[in-house]
Amino acid sequence: MGPKKDLETPRSNHSPKGFIQRMSKEASLSVAEREFILEALRQDSRLDGRRADQFRPLQISFGEEYGHVKLELGKTRIIVRISSEVTKPRDDRPFDGLFNINLELSAMGSPAWENGRTNELEAYVTHVLDSVIRRSNALDTESLCILKGVSCWSIRADVHIIDYDGNITDAACIAIMTGLQHFRRPDAVVRDGQVVVYGVEERVPVALNITHKPLSITFNTFNEGHNVILDSTRKEEQASEGELVIGINNGGDVCFMSKFSGAPIDAMEVVTQSKVALDKVKEINAQIEKVMEADLAKRAKKGMAEESRAANDREI
Amino acid sequence: MVGPTASLSNLSRADGSASFKCPTTGCSVLGSVNAPIELPARRDALKPEEATVEVFVKPGNTTAGVGERYVEGILRTMLQKVILGRERGFARRGVVITLAIIGGDAVERGDSYLTLLPTLLQTALLALLSAAVPMSMTFSTALLAVTKSGDIISDPCPVDAKTASSLHVFAFSSKGHLLLNESQGRFDFDTWEFVRERAYSTCRGAIVAGSDGDIAMGEEGEEGRANGFIRETVEDHLHRDYAWKIDSA
Repeated sequence: MGPKKDLETPRSNHSPKGFIQRMSKEASLSVAEREFILEALRQDSRLDGRRADQFRPLQISFGEEYGHVKLELGKTRIIVRISSEVTKPRDDRPFDGLFNINLELSAMGSPAWENGRTNELEAYVTHVLDSVIRRSNALDTESLCILKGVSCWSIRADVHIIDYDGNITDAACIAIMTGLQHFRRPDAVVRDGQVVVYGVEERVPVALNITHKPLSITFNTFNEGHNVILDSTRKEEQASEGELVIGINNGGDVCFMSKFSGAPIDAMEVVTQSKVALDKVKEINAQIEKVMEADLAKRAKKGMAEESRAANDREI
Repeated sequence: MVGPTASLSNLSRADGSASFKCPTTGCSVLGSVNAPIELPARRDALKPEEATVEVFVKPGNTTAGVGERYVEGILRTMLQKVILGRERGFARRGVVITLAIIGGDAVERGDSYLTLLPTLLQTALLALLSAAVPMSMTFSTALLAVTKSGDIISDPCPVDAKTASSLHVFAFSSKGHLLLNESQGRFDFDTWEFVRERAYSTCRGAIVAGSDGDIAMGEEGEEGRANGFIRETVEDHLHRDYAWKIDSA
């Protein structure tokens, strides 16, 4: 382990740290750092100068393909890719298509995550995403059916976390919802009992049927529940005593609420925070809509330019 | 022809990272390197005096399967030879290389990774350079296809690669030695030799051997495209990193 260079006050629940970072464990906060964050919050200020109910700057951009979303929330960076495939529906749900969210944490996002091994955070985030997006039926799976019991679309969302700086649940949720709205699947029709899938060049690809737009909002509590903040960074997450996740859509329907771990929270607090969550979701959804529109307009323009071009393709 | 694009150190959490986009396959790969790092489960490594190199390939829109495991094996064996695992602070530690395919079409299930292999290798190299992992040499890679009529195409597009009678991937070290040779399809030795020469010239420029068999500096004509590209990318990055020093001088 080399020379012991532990500058932190040893706490009972963590092992001393050398100068080489250890895998499978995020470097823990020092007592001084923790105290600083907590004391600052008592005085209503955060490390990066944000208000308690303020998100970090959110940037969404798109890749070349439909459904390829690059999202930056402060220093947290996520890439989501949506893909579609024709498969056989499940025997017990012959009218339903399939939709899966796939999240795998790799050493790219944080050195604490080991490649090819699941950890607690991964299981937890997958659970929240599944509940908020998949089980709330944000994507209408019945519209993915092509021929009853024979073929349907299988939609897959792959989440790659490439930089981890806290709050991956909300960030991944925003990225997946944006991806689903941005994605276009090839058109498929049934002709004489035969399924015909048209290529992207033959027919205009179709958008997915989104029933509502839920997003998850994570609250972290500090100082015996006196401070509740939104979109905490990795350090704030580490100093936090508990968290509350609310999945809510633009209409104010709460589709998920979880008090997963940590210190108890006042019941009234949950009610007031769901109001905050609703405002936030409306604000973020408006932002998603704006970037989506801009991107689709750009694509439409480019597509037409390509079509109306008179020059022949040249060998360069 | 549009050349590849690459950038270094674009991630904040990983020790080193690089992104690389190959114009012909349209595939872009993001690579990260964490080194040296403690690997808790690998205390009983086979070679305790060397660093363990771990490679992880993460496909963009499928779950990793047999194809990924296979290509990880190829990458690991090659990179293990290049990385100086006995350097101070590296013994008993791990060099973890993660390569995520973040753009372009996915490799179909059961299909070979040969078309992506050069891109993965280049990304891994740039990420290792960005993480300042000690290496004995750098390398450059080339992908070539032999068509049914016997023509050799360098950097074949996916359609060409699919119809080709054989596909070849080569990697040459910065000293001009052949480091990696992966081929698939039917071909004979003569064809392979032609392909190798062609690959050598794309990677390293024209062969100008001195009387003693060494390739003399300066005598070399135009530096190979692939090798030159790696050099330029790293030079650009260093120039930006040391801008403060250059400006003050």
